[in-house]
Amino acid sequence: MAAASLAAKPAAEPSLRRSVTPWGSFSWGYSDVGADIFVGLGLVLGTAAGASNVAFLFAGIVYVCIGLAYTELAAAYPVAGGGQYFVFRGLGDIFGFIAGWAVLLDFTIDIVLFAWSCIDYLSKLLPFLGYVDHPWVHFLVVFSLIGGLALLNIIGVRESSAFNEFVSGLDVVSETTILFFGFLFAFQPQLLIHTMTVSWPSPFSLMNGVSLAIISFVGLESISQAAQETQRPASVIPRTSISLILTILIFALAYSNLALGMQPWHAIPPDAHGHAQELWQYLGNENNNGAAVAVLASYVPYFGTIAALYVPVLGAILLLISSNSGVFGSSRIAYAMSGTQLLPSIFQRVHPKFRTPAVSILTFCGFAIVELIFASLPRLSAPVKAIYARLFRGEDGITFLGDLYAFGAAASYSFVFIALIALRLNDSQSPRRFKMPFNVPFTFKGNRVEFPLVAVIGFFGIVSILVFTMITHEIGRIAGPLWIVLGIVGYLFYRRRKRLPVFGSQPHDWRKAQINILQEAGELEMMDEYLVNVKRMDAARTTIRETLR
Amino acid sequence: MRNLVRSEGYARARLVTGSIAMVLGAILIVRTLAATGLAFKALPACVLGGAMIALGVVRFRDYTAARRGRP
Repeated sequence: MAAASLAAKPAAEPSLRRSVTPWGSFSWGYSDVGADIFVGLGLVLGTAAGASNVAFLFAGIVYVCIGLAYTELAAAYPVAGGGQYFVFRGLGDIFGFIAGWAVLLDFTIDIVLFAWSCIDYLSKLLPFLGYVDHPWVHFLVVFSLIGGLALLNIIGVRESSAFNEFVSGLDVVSETTILFFGFLFAFQPQLLIHTMTVSWPSPFSLMNGVSLAIISFVGLESISQAAQETQRPASVIPRTSISLILTILIFALAYSNLALGMQPWHAIPPDAHGHAQELWQYLGNENNNGAAVAVLASYVPYFGTIAALYVPVLGAILLLISSNSGVFGSSRIAYAMSGTQLLPSIFQRVHPKFRTPAVSILTFCGFAIVELIFASLPRLSAPVKAIYARLFRGEDGITFLGDLYAFGAAASYSFVFIALIALRLNDSQSPRRFKMPFNVPFTFKGNRVEFPLVAVIGFFGIVSILVFTMITHEIGRIAGPLWIVLGIVGYLFYRRRKRLPVFGSQPHDWRKAQINILQEAGELEMMDEYLVNVKRMDAARTTIRETLR
Repeated sequence: MRNLVRSEGYARARLVTGSIAMVLGAILIVRTLAATGLAFKALPACVLGGAMIALGVVRFRDYTAARRGRP
């Protein structure tokens, strides 16, 4: 992919500048994955009810496995492209395409879901932006926001990384303070257990909740996508990734436990029918599920008074950054896939004046707009609402988008686990400064390799979430696979037309690519180690061949 | 921001917050187990406590590594 082509360039050609520090690497990942809990909390509370913390726990365990896999791969192959590159390298062209195509689905939803939730958070301060009461205003504002982000990306304006780092730092402090006050003054373990006992959901709702909980953990791959710009990636990425994995896991588990076991500072308003409701029910209803963290923060004793004023703004900024990362990420992945002939060359076209991949940006922002229309339609048109009620159990808005997001994430992560196992077996020469724990050593094709047991656990975990998504979400079951199938049909047609291997792969010189990758990363010790490993492996193979003769 | 996160004061602050996370994690586990005993429903809160302790350990290791001058 990008890295392969980049690795083949002479060293004198310009490449991405390595300016990302350990903190920069952390904040890069945090600004993407840290925003997810702002969206995921309300959705999961609305479906998994008293088992929301269990749903987050299950998804969190899978997420830890995903995080460890990405950490190992990004430290061993520090190139831009993330999961798509790992699958492309480990499993070949067609699987590289499918993984990239699933990531592209996720990025387009990322654009609209986070733009949507950004406006939901702002609506806590500006009620006229609310989706339920003012759907047309909400739709037009989200539409304009996506259009504005597309325009900024075409012009080439990005948020400064210093701003990113500042917002991430502020958010970590803010979320920690909310949780600190909440657990210190309002958390009651007895209430948590009572809620879990009385409001335990049906198995169907629990599966639904687990499949939505995974969206709170999507985005960790940002660290691996920034690997090509990270200083000393092999040592920095494992440190920042582990910190990020733990931070996000703690936030997700803490918010869900707090929401179920917190005694709110103020009385909760009754529901639409005048019935009393618990805090978690209030957070999960359609008015609040898009901005649950801000609502929860406002019910925290003492600190809630201040939090009610600034958390909606901070959340909106973080969500806007995340939405922008969707615009940026989708266009760059499409550009890179085009470079390795997985997508047509039109996606490599850059704007003559601004030198940005304008076609890719417009295409994937266009997909995002289509998704926005499908998500908003039921509120905008009564006949469509009736159709959705019949076909999709009435799912609309943020739930609609959450379904597709869960499908795209689960599909692409499944391939990353398989790629990790394949690369462990077929590329044992590449030095790995970080390895997933619990490995079984054995001999494969004459080489000593280590089989990663955690990758197998993670694979079954993420596949089960994919299955939950297919079982519980009508939209995810239809639109998700349809996206993949249409992509594969287009890929086959394109490869046949270009007379390229349709199901096979083009020849790649991975050895040369790996040497260039490590050289450009400044990981010269790893490069020397790689060269020694390669020579040793070649010598062993020669000896075996001569013995056989 | 970058100057701040490179400073020794920031490393010490991380060590302090990491230590607080370890203490809070331990308190959470003890309080939950005291309220429920060894029950399945205590698992999410106990895992949360365990993750907070692990975060404290990671920050302690980062601090010692930073003192040794690791990049």
